[in-house]
Amino acid sequence: MIWMTWRQHRKQALFTVIGLTVLAALMVPTGLAMRNTMASTGLDECVRLALDSEKCNTASRQFSNEYSSLAFVGILFVILPLLIGLFWGAPLVAREVEHGTHRLVWTQGVSRRQWALVKVGFVGGATVAAAVVYGLGLSWWMTPLSHAGLSSRFSVLLFDMQGLVPVGYTFFAVALGIFAGAIWPKVLPAMAFTLVGFVGIRVALTVLARPNYLPASTRTYPVFGLASAPERDKYDWILAVGVRNPDGTLVVPNGTVECNQVVEGPGAPCGSEFGIEAGAYNWQLYQPAGRFWLFQGIETGIFVALAAVLLVLAVRAIRRIA
Amino acid sequence: MDIVVETDRLGKRYGRTWALQECSLHLPAGRVAALVGPNGAGKSTLLHLAVGLLRPDAGTVRVFDSAPYDNTTVLAEIGFVAQDTPLYRDFTAAELITMGAKLNRRWDAALARRRLAQLGIPPDRAVGTLSGGQRAQVALALALAKRPRLLLLDEPVARLDPLARREFLQSLMGSVAESGTTVLLSSHLLADLERVCDYLIVLHASRVQLAGGVDELVAEHKQLVGPRHGNDPVAGVAAVLRASHTDRQSTLLVRTNANIDDPRWTVHEVTLEDLILAYLAEGETQSSHEAWGVPA
Repeated sequence: MIWMTWRQHRKQALFTVIGLTVLAALMVPTGLAMRNTMASTGLDECVRLALDSEKCNTASRQFSNEYSSLAFVGILFVILPLLIGLFWGAPLVAREVEHGTHRLVWTQGVSRRQWALVKVGFVGGATVAAAVVYGLGLSWWMTPLSHAGLSSRFSVLLFDMQGLVPVGYTFFAVALGIFAGAIWPKVLPAMAFTLVGFVGIRVALTVLARPNYLPASTRTYPVFGLASAPERDKYDWILAVGVRNPDGTLVVPNGTVECNQVVEGPGAPCGSEFGIEAGAYNWQLYQPAGRFWLFQGIETGIFVALAAVLLVLAVRAIRRIA
Repeated sequence: MDIVVETDRLGKRYGRTWALQECSLHLPAGRVAALVGPNGAGKSTLLHLAVGLLRPDAGTVRVFDSAPYDNTTVLAEIGFVAQDTPLYRDFTAAELITMGAKLNRRWDAALARRRLAQLGIPPDRAVGTLSGGQRAQVALALALAKRPRLLLLDEPVARLDPLARREFLQSLMGSVAESGTTVLLSSHLLADLERVCDYLIVLHASRVQLAGGVDELVAEHKQLVGPRHGNDPVAGVAAVLRASHTDRQSTLLVRTNANIDDPRWTVHEVTLEDLILAYLAEGETQSSHEAWGVPA
């Protein structure tokens, strides 16, 4: 069975390895270049010691001028799990049935359950291995970008590209593809189902579930009398900001207002055009940066669990195909 | 006499339509049986039930005295060639033989190689590039290499040209004659079956119309030619399958249960083909008239 699986999928495996190699050829040099720039401009020193000097700001600006466009290259990786699901998962059962070869292989001396377990095990294992490689590789590549403060690694697309979650997404995409092929054993419909299902579930979980994995923290600071906002970790994931009056009503959604009350000028008092009363405060809802790996773990867990359910259902469905 | 395949009121349903219904038959060991019926009669369904690809919705099917569904013990005894002889098209013939060796406990790779060498089939070309006849031969060689006690073939020659068809059936008969394998072969090409089969199962409209040894069936059925016949019974006739009349004369295809001594009737032997066609014509077409909303 293992020989058989290898013989059937060696071409796909080869293409996947070539694809990953090409990506590595692209990412390794740029990753090294970013690290060199950080070292030569002294930016890594600024990051490590959390310095906020003129020199550091210049270095940061220089770095972002040079590399901020690269962050968008990383977005390509968001679709990588989907591609693996489409080209590894969906045809696994569907192509056998479309070519009628399931009637050849399932009437040899191997039970369908064993066939399914070996196939799913081999393909699932290979894709998870590939996902680990590019997940870790991408985390390494993204580190300078997020350290330079271009964006929080907790923000939506960056969170999805690094760490553990690519492994969860890839495993889920492959399981969804296998499931779709077992339920609807035709290659193209199975691929379409995988595409729609994967995007749908990913978007739904990202938008609806992820902000609520743990209750968000709130931070408040007064509108009046403070020179600037209090220290905060720039890697926090800010979910919402606003200005609230002392009774709690939100007067300025999606904005912050800071007034220096010491300076009494002519005209209306600061912030009165928004209806801000005395004692109003700025309000922030956020997930602390320290929860990054916890959230990675939760999200990966959800997708792995979904994948496991889909695989069990797929193996059951396989026993009903004739 | 050993029974290899036995079904009892076997039925299989797809959605609301029954592909096979109330199918009771038995296939004795050592026979080469033809499973005959028009397209959609349930031939493939019956074979898939016998090889354990499908689970029955009603009744039972037993092969070598066990239920074949998802049963690898029974599967080891069955060689199966599915419709259109599916093969992994990017595998070479030699790789397919290796595949069989990996997936089966009992596997006679030498037998498969010998057969394919005799037929001049190249071992190192992807089977997708071979002709239909060659692919069918590869599929048959794979089925035979299991050294099966039962060989199930689903329309193996339907797509072949007459020459390839004859070669295929000849090589099939040659190898099963040596090993004493029981064969169940579905087809709608009657002339081919007449040459090779000694047992007949006629399936029509998802039911078994006729089953038995070819010699017995042919001996049992007669064509009677005689004076214009009403509906009065003829001594020795169990059932009239087909009757055609001219002004003075009637021709009847009948199943007999005794010798026909009535001097008014001339008795002719029937061919297998006549017999099969008579039974196939019996099936009803009523439901389709209703579905189309036209009078029958």
